[in-house]
Amino acid sequence: MSSPSLTLPAAGPGAARKRRLLEAAGALAIAGTYIYLVLNQPADITGGPGSAPALIALSGFLVGAVLLIAAVLPTLPASTVALIPVALVLNIVLGQFVGSTLVPFYLDAVGTVLIAVLAGPAAGAATGALSSIIWSLFNPTVLPFAAGAALIGALAGLAARHGFFRRFYLAPVAGFVTGIIGGVVSAPVAAFVFGGTSGVATGAIVGAFRAMGDTLLAAITKQALISDPMDKAIVFTVVAVLVYALPRRARMQFPFLRKHRVLAGDTTDRAA
Amino acid sequence: MTTAAASLPLSLTVAVVAVGISAVSGSARRLLPTAVAILVPLGFSLLLVHGLSFPGGLTVLAQWGPVRVTAEGLAFAGGRGVQLSAVVLVLLLFSFSVSVPDLVAALSARGVRGRFAFVLASTLTLLPAIAARVDHIRQAQEARGLVIRRGPVARLAAFRQQVVPLVLSLVEDAGTRAAALEARGFGAPGPRTSYREVPDSAAQRLLRPALVLAAAAAVAWRLWPGSGGA
Repeated sequence: MSSPSLTLPAAGPGAARKRRLLEAAGALAIAGTYIYLVLNQPADITGGPGSAPALIALSGFLVGAVLLIAAVLPTLPASTVALIPVALVLNIVLGQFVGSTLVPFYLDAVGTVLIAVLAGPAAGAATGALSSIIWSLFNPTVLPFAAGAALIGALAGLAARHGFFRRFYLAPVAGFVTGIIGGVVSAPVAAFVFGGTSGVATGAIVGAFRAMGDTLLAAITKQALISDPMDKAIVFTVVAVLVYALPRRARMQFPFLRKHRVLAGDTTDRAA
Repeated sequence: MTTAAASLPLSLTVAVVAVGISAVSGSARRLLPTAVAILVPLGFSLLLVHGLSFPGGLTVLAQWGPVRVTAEGLAFAGGRGVQLSAVVLVLLLFSFSVSVPDLVAALSARGVRGRFAFVLASTLTLLPAIAARVDHIRQAQEARGLVIRRGPVARLAAFRQQVVPLVLSLVEDAGTRAAALEARGFGAPGPRTSYREVPDSAAQRLLRPALVLAAAAAVAWRLWPGSGGA
């Protein structure tokens, strides 16, 4: 699809090194913020969006997400970049629709996981972060979850690379595990920034755990461990259905699919 | 929390000023329904989480088993709700008053990669088009005999018959668009010129770094131990 330009100079090795650095800095910012929040366990009753833990959670996760976008977006081929808006629209439309119902799920990652399966973990991470940032134009409450969404995209891409989409029953399993990790990372954001969740159904679950005597962070983490694995198992299954329904011609645009033999039955067109 | 950022009057003032500005600029009719759709579930969630069980609550208003409605819990949920409303309203005020073509042009002119501007602009133009596309697909499937019956299984099947073609057609479109973008040098490195010029006054140029510095200073002040942070 994207052949190197014949008339313009190619980007030098310096640019590639800079991007690697940005990527590493982004991942470090997200991991460091999470470790700080969990090790320090700021007091249970937090001060809302203006308190120190909320500011650290917000700025650390957001800076990490922006660095990841800056590192990954310029390296993606045009076929992937053109697909990202489609993924964002799917995330927003499904997420907004499901979020307004009384189901304790989100389904706001179908597009992110779709890109991750078609184009790899880096593209998935960038799509997840972009999705939160652009969706926040209509719903500012999703902005703090950018890092969690990026992690979901990266993990989905890794699952695709290691063949979890080759067998139909493995996709929900990979989604379940992704949901556990993603839920545990997103819980401090919900706790420190919102002091709860943004949906009624998830809020009821958190309230139940709190009534049993859990701290806020523990209650929200438990709620995330109930909702997120199921949610991501559903999302991964939906994406598996979609990817296998794609015509071969559409799939051929994505070298990642062929290089890592992501899907079953694509053995004949395996290329280096 | 007795510091400025957590004070109820400040949050209320910010929220009221944001709504006032949007009313003056004429975007209130779009802003308010969106804000209500976001804040009502959020408020209910806060009530469920804090109103029904609050560890520090002493003034018990009602109690069923482990569920205790306390005045402190309700006050905390209310305060947090107002705070989040202020944040949401200010951010929504930005997104409903910004002109997307200007934002895209300004982003590309400021050295933000054209790719981010493309993703932003393309998403914002695709969103309204999706509704029409879904409608066409539903009509086409109904012409082929799709009847949406009651019951979760039948609804799920109907949902699948509409979502799969929707996603496939969108992916197909994206492929066509990618080829067109590639042919126009989308992936090529180097500077770009913009067709659209966004006017930028000297005052705005001064105000921007000042606001960034002020925001950074506010965060640093909050995080500095002993100066009123957490």
